[in-house]
Amino acid sequence: MCDQTFVAATFGPCDNCTTASPLMNIYIKNEAINYCSFCVEVMACQGLQKGESLANLKRECESLKKKLEEERGKLNDVELHQVAEKVEVVGALSIKTRRVLKGHGNKVLCMDWCKDKRRLVSSSQDGKVIVWDGFTLNKEHGMTMPTTWVMACAYAPSGCAVACGGLDNKCSVIPLSLDSNENLAAKKKTVAMHTNYISGCTFTNSDMQLLSSSGDGTCALWDVESGQLLQSFHGHTADVLSLDLAPSETGNTFVSGGCDKKANVWDMRSGQNIQSFECHESDINCVKYYPSGDAFASASDDATCRFFDLRADREVAVFQKDSIIFGASTVDFSLSGRLLFAGYNDYTMNVWDVLKGNRVSILFGHENRISRVRVSPDGTALCSASWDNTLRIWA
Amino acid sequence: MSSKPHSSNNIAHARRTVQQLRIEASIERIKVSKASADIMNYCTEHARNDPLLMGIPASDNPFKDKKPCTIL
Repeated sequence: MCDQTFVAATFGPCDNCTTASPLMNIYIKNEAINYCSFCVEVMACQGLQKGESLANLKRECESLKKKLEEERGKLNDVELHQVAEKVEVVGALSIKTRRVLKGHGNKVLCMDWCKDKRRLVSSSQDGKVIVWDGFTLNKEHGMTMPTTWVMACAYAPSGCAVACGGLDNKCSVIPLSLDSNENLAAKKKTVAMHTNYISGCTFTNSDMQLLSSSGDGTCALWDVESGQLLQSFHGHTADVLSLDLAPSETGNTFVSGGCDKKANVWDMRSGQNIQSFECHESDINCVKYYPSGDAFASASDDATCRFFDLRADREVAVFQKDSIIFGASTVDFSLSGRLLFAGYNDYTMNVWDVLKGNRVSILFGHENRISRVRVSPDGTALCSASWDNTLRIWA
Repeated sequence: MSSKPHSSNNIAHARRTVQQLRIEASIERIKVSKASADIMNYCTEHARNDPLLMGIPASDNPFKDKKPCTIL
């Protein structure tokens, strides 16, 4: 009769798989590894490099993060607003509502300008996508998507198509036809397919490629003609809420922001995450490149907008005020980049001086939260979309 | 053990994070003073072409209502 006994000096959660079980206390290079017997076997089979283990990797992670902070800190010799002290103060702005676009029956979630500077496309919660002429308020096209909450819409560079997507997890491209009798929704072509809602989409420099961001935590680049996935971008650990393409002179990168409070800059060709910024204290709702392409701004639920410089690799300005307590949902720069227009959940838009860091103006008018703000391609006007079912053009 | 796939994921995930951080730590950075000066220069160079900043006359802005014209 044999009693089966085994040595189990400790019982507790395994360092690797975290289930509670008898742990084998082994030492690798003088370091205690408390794994359960299964994980020890798995580790042996995985052929870990000498001395590599979860604890080691975690420690290297921490030290690299610290090193990153130090390196960034070393170059922080002066603040942006100090450098800009000698710059003239922004004069009084005479920006007023010039047009109110009524026609959506429900919250307007997104809008985009056409390159011809007069047309725009907007999408709403009830699935309607409308193409407007901004000068005449004429509704040129109206389509109903087979989904509610169309959270993303974009105008193609040629002006001949629009892309939209939302809770259907797909981004579709709809060619715009001059024939008003045609049922446009029937001609739509599904391009992007994600496993969660589409939060943002944009065409790249041509009508041929589409970039999409999704609640599934990834961004993806698609070929419009074939619907093929060209590149996917993994790195966010939560929903990606917004993306923006770098202005064409500066190359193939884009920035994305998400619920993991991070803003990531990606290389479109390799799929590599080049830079990452984690300064916000809550979800990043919107990211937008500065016109020169060397910086970008972000709007977040923590009621601040922040300005990040890509070459200095750090945050260089924070746009906040004690009196602003509602989250910022959208940002866009004026043509020169001097003004930052930010839409907030308290129904207002704040206009910030990017160089000096102070607020220049507040724009009132909407009766519900502002979902999207976009400056027209030639900088003459600003369009805001809101949950009050309207869009306003300001100039 | 239900955590079988989980255990290899942890190490793989940590390896990926370390690799990503290594890439980020090694990029070239410039001083904030230089970066800020460049941004400031861009702003001032393009400021005069910025309609929302400078304000353009109603006749040039298609969105602003034009004053009624009188025929003399």
